[in-house]
Amino acid sequence: MESSRSGWRCLIAKTALVGQLLGAACTGEVGEQSPGGGMTAPNGGATSGGGNNPSGNNPSGNNTGAPPPVSSACLAASARPSVGVSPLRRLTRTQYNHTVRDLLGLQGDHAASLGLDEKVGHFYSNVNNPVSELAVEQYMTAADALATRAVSTNLATLVPCDAAADPAGCGAKFVDSFGQRAFRRPLLNEEKTAMLALFEAGRKDENFEGGVRRVVAAMLQSPQFLYHIELGAPTGGAEVVGLDSFKVGARLSYFLWDSMPDAELLRAAGANELTAPVAIRKQAERMLNDARAAETIANFHKQWLGTDMLPILEKDAKIYPAFTPALRDSMINEGGRFADHVLRAGDGQLETLFTAPLAFVDEPLAKLYGVSLPAGHDPSKPVKLDPSKRAGILTQAGLLAAHAHADQSSPIRRGKLVRENLFCQTLAPPPPDADITPPEPDPKASTRSRFEMHRADPQCKSCHALIDPLGFGFENYDGIGAYRDQEAGAAVDARGEIVGTDVDGPFNGVGELSRKLASSPTVRACVASHWFNYALGRVAGDADKCAMEAVTAAFAKTNNLRDLILALVTSDAFRYGRFDTRTGAP
Amino acid sequence: MKRLEVSRRKFLASIGAAGMGALLPTTEAEAQAGGPKKRLVMLTSGNGTVPVEWKPTAGPGGALMSLNKCMAALEPLKDDLLVLDGLGWQFNDSPGVDHMRIAMMWNGSPMLTGNDFSNSTGTRPCGWGSAISIDQHIANKLTETVKTPFKSIEFGVWVKSHHIYTRVNYAGSNQPIAPLDDPYAVFDRLFKNIGPQPSSTMDLEKLRARRQSVLDAVKSNLNVVQTKVSMADRRKIEAHLDAVRSIEKRLDTSASGNGCMPPAMGTKIEIKQANIPMISRLQMDMLVLALSCDLTRVTSLLWAGAANEVRMTWLNQTSGHHTISHDNSANGTAPRVASHNWYSGEVAYLLQKMKSVPDGNGTLLDNALVVWGNELADGAAHNAQPIPVVIAGKAGGAIKNSGRLIEYGKKRHNGLLVSMAHLMGLGDVTKFGTLDDGTGPLAGLT
Repeated sequence: MESSRSGWRCLIAKTALVGQLLGAACTGEVGEQSPGGGMTAPNGGATSGGGNNPSGNNPSGNNTGAPPPVSSACLAASARPSVGVSPLRRLTRTQYNHTVRDLLGLQGDHAASLGLDEKVGHFYSNVNNPVSELAVEQYMTAADALATRAVSTNLATLVPCDAAADPAGCGAKFVDSFGQRAFRRPLLNEEKTAMLALFEAGRKDENFEGGVRRVVAAMLQSPQFLYHIELGAPTGGAEVVGLDSFKVGARLSYFLWDSMPDAELLRAAGANELTAPVAIRKQAERMLNDARAAETIANFHKQWLGTDMLPILEKDAKIYPAFTPALRDSMINEGGRFADHVLRAGDGQLETLFTAPLAFVDEPLAKLYGVSLPAGHDPSKPVKLDPSKRAGILTQAGLLAAHAHADQSSPIRRGKLVRENLFCQTLAPPPPDADITPPEPDPKASTRSRFEMHRADPQCKSCHALIDPLGFGFENYDGIGAYRDQEAGAAVDARGEIVGTDVDGPFNGVGELSRKLASSPTVRACVASHWFNYALGRVAGDADKCAMEAVTAAFAKTNNLRDLILALVTSDAFRYGRFDTRTGAP
Repeated sequence: MKRLEVSRRKFLASIGAAGMGALLPTTEAEAQAGGPKKRLVMLTSGNGTVPVEWKPTAGPGGALMSLNKCMAALEPLKDDLLVLDGLGWQFNDSPGVDHMRIAMMWNGSPMLTGNDFSNSTGTRPCGWGSAISIDQHIANKLTETVKTPFKSIEFGVWVKSHHIYTRVNYAGSNQPIAPLDDPYAVFDRLFKNIGPQPSSTMDLEKLRARRQSVLDAVKSNLNVVQTKVSMADRRKIEAHLDAVRSIEKRLDTSASGNGCMPPAMGTKIEIKQANIPMISRLQMDMLVLALSCDLTRVTSLLWAGAANEVRMTWLNQTSGHHTISHDNSANGTAPRVASHNWYSGEVAYLLQKMKSVPDGNGTLLDNALVVWGNELADGAAHNAQPIPVVIAGKAGGAIKNSGRLIEYGKKRHNGLLVSMAHLMGLGDVTKFGTLDDGTGPLAGLT
């Protein structure tokens, strides 16, 4: 980045690990908000938390396209793992729902009554703030209700023995078996004692079911259930410790399924298999093949690309009458299905993600895409698109609608998406006194011409040269992602240019842009860093440098996203933990 | 004060651990003192105003002549107001910039350093708020002598993220408190167990024992975990344990009441942006009832948050509020003013409602301190001085002379926070927050 920086006075390098901060003078519009309203994703978090987004070991300056080498410092250090601190995290709402589903056999949005999730980078991870009293109250209320439901509907599956024959013995067996699933490891003696006493109190005061109910209610509001507890007690000495098999198992299941470990993972953990990379890899392959991975992959892409706010996206109905709740739901479904298809059913190539002319559509979205569907079409099956008009994740209507205004497209939001979310570069905000109101829609003037006006200001121009030429490439898609080749009575001009990256040059339309992005080592490293963030609920830091190098190098060999995931789960960052030795002051 | 023993008994039967309906008598000390029950209402809306259309005109001594366009909806209530001009903070006061400074509004202290919130609004990233907010400080102090079921209650209207933009209440450094923005969840939490209840099938003492045994086990598990995490993580477990203890205490308190009935919620409405006006009214109705029923003495309400992009479709606006707030063109003023005046209308509704509720020797508004703030001064210029601050109510007689504009020139707002403590009866607070080196309350309020 050094070489290009001199050409852009607003381009400021941050650290090697976090990509660049590109100063922008003015943006010509509001960049810090998601469009539509509400400013945030439905599930919480700011939509544009790219300021703390990492790029891992962004191989800045490596323009050759060759896989980035693992540095000699890291090779020399490989015997001594280095990882960053993983602060204590609470389950996200998705994780809570999935865990309850798998633990109690109860479907539903159980987390609807819980507080919203915090974001770290682009991804939900409740890592910073301690719980409030309200949050604890919400956990209690939910735990009580779920325990009652579970006992009345699923008692037989929760209790692995004959309660009538030997209530006390069966209760103890229940505490052991349920406890191991709820706490994701065998209970410690002190926990077992407390839970058994609780069961017995319930049995005595009420009956067997009452004892079970109390144990379930207590466990669901205990920290062993609500938090990812990844370290043991500090033993003095080593700051970096290998995670035991149960903790690796829980990391795997919460990364790949957003849920608790299944029976096989608990078995493997019990046999202490999950400290070996080969065994971890085998489990991860199994888990990726499981349908539960589909939603995880979908959620990664939604959060990465900012389409997680689609559920609360609103459009101006006068301008976009086609944008109905049904169409919005189609868009939400398509993004996840497409990414899952590429990663799990398809070839897993980053390039395929960016360029495959496939869509997963039902009637409303098919209409928007101009695709005719056979009767009884299954929207989870791909249909072919005309690749000259639409191909890859950047042309999906959901993404295009999310990064647009309520009443028009937005070259700037789309350009920012490419800069920040795909290149992991950070744009500085406009100065406070800049007028960032987007130009009014005008039937006589193209979006491009209206948005180009603000670049007449020399202060704006220097930085918007980094944003706008990327965003103009998207002008074939209107504010809800419908294809257009005409606007305001003239042919759409979707020519753009990439500057300040390792794949600089002109392009025409998103198709060409996407192929360039797929070939960029910076984008590749950026994607790897996002997966790191998603997998571990934290941003890679200096201490993770060698782990990130190893992951990025493995990914660069095949450009296969499955290989990226497998490299990640077998990396030091995934298998080790670091004690935070600070004394607890925030 | 008539007892609500029956309700309480049946409330405990439904025992959603957090379900709440117990109403407590005021403390003996307070009863003896015979003083008014002071209440705090802390209001926050976002995106600034148009200052020249906000500042009212005043006559001699600051007497309010007429309110300006941004507060036109409050005109009938102007004699109940103190409009404070000139307070705020400066751009170099803290890490983070612009809208992020909503975190400083009520604690008067710089945000934590960090990278949690950076690119969205600033070249200078920051973490969460670094200190307790004044409402929580007041709540902590009041509960030393006044036992209400809730130490404080935080209301929200369309607060759709967990982000520095959407938190105004802090229990301490890095401890934002989420407001509850679903009126039906608020109802369940506050009022579900007041009034007639279905009869119980379980003995009261057994229910109590059941709840206690579960909570004891939870505390035991928290204590186990406390020894299994990093030093830095222990404060998270401690906070969790504190919360359990506090809820436990609340559920254990004996119940009585003053004849409160749950509010009528009407036909259930969908929680969507277009319904924000209805959601706002529901929340304010429950806020007033929570105060008049003495469920708490300290409340706050946050509308949408800093930099929110709520589209006020009910004002026929097609862009979000934040976008509108940046339009400093000639055509932009009217929608900006209309947006702010919508909030003024909401505040007016709240004040009218509080005025209509008898309380002690006067009305609820007489005994309350209502303070309304914002994270910005001019929404388009993104400056932070003068932050629009409006005070209403008499704080139980502490404010004697309302209906005034008070001009402070240019002054950091920490004195406002000190004044809030004083007006609520905490006269020993001399300093609140660290933005300002100075001490003492604002001059001229009382």
